[in-house]
Amino acid sequence: MQVIEYTTLLVFAVPLVILLINILLPRQLAEKSSIGLAYLAPLVQIVATAAGLVQIAQLKQHEFAISWNLAGAVSVRFAVNVFSLVLLFCIGMVTLAAIMVANRTVPQKRAGFAGLLMMLIVGMNGMVLVTDLFSLYVFLEIVGISSFVLIAMFKSDTGLEGAFKYLVMSVLASIMILTGLAFVFMQTGSLQYDQVGAAGGALVGPGAPHLALMYTAMALMIAGFAIKTGAVPFHSWLPDAHQSANTAVSVLLSGIVIKIAGIYGFIVITNFFGRLPGIDLTLALIGTVSIVVGALFALRQSHFKRIVAYSSVSQMGYILLGLSTGSVLGLLGAVAHVFNHATFKSTLFTNAAAVHEQTGTYDINELGGLEKKMPVTSFSSLAAFMSTAGIPPFAGFWSKLLIIMALWNSGDWVFAAIALIASIFTAAYFLRLQRKVFFGKLLDKFAQLTEIGGSVKWAQIMLTVVTIAAGLLFPFALRYFGGIGIL
Amino acid sequence: MEAYMETVILIVGFLLIVAGCYCLIRTYHLLKVIIGVEVAMKAVTMFVILAGFINGKAPLAQAFVITVIVIEVVVAVVAVGLALNLYRLYGNMDIRNLRKLKG
Repeated sequence: MQVIEYTTLLVFAVPLVILLINILLPRQLAEKSSIGLAYLAPLVQIVATAAGLVQIAQLKQHEFAISWNLAGAVSVRFAVNVFSLVLLFCIGMVTLAAIMVANRTVPQKRAGFAGLLMMLIVGMNGMVLVTDLFSLYVFLEIVGISSFVLIAMFKSDTGLEGAFKYLVMSVLASIMILTGLAFVFMQTGSLQYDQVGAAGGALVGPGAPHLALMYTAMALMIAGFAIKTGAVPFHSWLPDAHQSANTAVSVLLSGIVIKIAGIYGFIVITNFFGRLPGIDLTLALIGTVSIVVGALFALRQSHFKRIVAYSSVSQMGYILLGLSTGSVLGLLGAVAHVFNHATFKSTLFTNAAAVHEQTGTYDINELGGLEKKMPVTSFSSLAAFMSTAGIPPFAGFWSKLLIIMALWNSGDWVFAAIALIASIFTAAYFLRLQRKVFFGKLLDKFAQLTEIGGSVKWAQIMLTVVTIAAGLLFPFALRYFGGIGIL
Repeated sequence: MEAYMETVILIVGFLLIVAGCYCLIRTYHLLKVIIGVEVAMKAVTMFVILAGFINGKAPLAQAFVITVIVIEVVVAVVAVGLALNLYRLYGNMDIRNLRKLKG
């Protein structure tokens, strides 16, 4: 048995075992120990995926299929490639940051929080590892249901409102995705990835049939996954849900859930049907509109978390642009941007948690000059902002560069130009945020302010180190991908 | 005769989806929103059965449909739980209460 098989086993087994222990423990004990126990799942996941990535580099092969023969009758098949390992690593990193934040911001219902978090991890890991579209849908629903309850579980009026809006939009997305799946199933007779891929391959090339059924299915699935991603015509739920949730949950939602639930669906679709005429243009248009409109909306908000949430809409546009090219370079750029977005968006929401814990407000107009009193928060926020805006030594620069290069190579220079110019908007809304919150004169009411301590501070330090290290070491990452034959 | 049946099921399915979405647009009641969404979801399960019927993979389609029904029930329970908590907060089920978050 290879290391990589243990990886897929561990990322399922550990969260499920922790969930079981969490349920079986007496209530008082569970409230005290559940968050501490929950640290185990992301730590194991990070170590296991890192080991898997090392093994891939040694074997110089990047696709693995693993069958679990359960009782001889049912065979569950999982596949791992280098991109899904990177996504699994992101899941581990963001959930680790979220648990560190939750340690401070979740005062009660800690056992419930930890249990739902484990469900969410299982759902996301499942989505990345499965090899048929129907299982993908089932794990998508697990992710969705855990997210609704995580947003609403503290029963504030805004939390319930955000969760209800997310739920209605999400059920609409499920209806579209499942109708699309039914149409694909009608055409192919199976939802296994290899057979769906073969059916998709038969639709391109000279003399290939133009099947209205498949194009309807593609339109429905793109719309459904765009709702899950929060791309622009379908983004209305995203700022509401991300603003109203507890900040630890916002870290999860913005950091990883929209990417696994939405972007991973797009990765699967473009893998099979990316060469169908029209798909690439649709994704590119959704992406461009998301970049521009998300950034413009972010400019006129005054709630710290809402600015960061609209920034997520905008950054998802870059990932969709990368996927729209259909080339390996574009896919690599998209996955790299998923990783970078996971780090810097978690950092920014962790900063929001730190600012709210110390000052009691999220309104950027009531804040000012926190730089002197909260140096760690201020520096990590600045590093995350520079990475988002794509300023050279930071990680965001490299992934945006890869995406723009992929667009240029495939001849979409109009979209490349828009993606480049829209970076100015990114800089604009984050400069506004930084200037109002951290720079300038310290307000008198904050004279007694202190830096946040404990796990939130360490989460900020960890994520900033990852952001800066990813930026400085990115050429080595490219060499790694070249070494296993991706580039 | 069979082709006739398929067309009928397809049309009924689309009508159910339209009915569910119409309900979603026109009502201001939280529970009616959930009912509208569930009606549309039922139409989708019908499409899955239809797909299995057309391509001759009916057992596979039945397995899919049973899973989808279980998922739907869980989603409906969560949705009704949210509606109940909103009712306790506001004293009525009007969806126009949900106006705190905007911009």
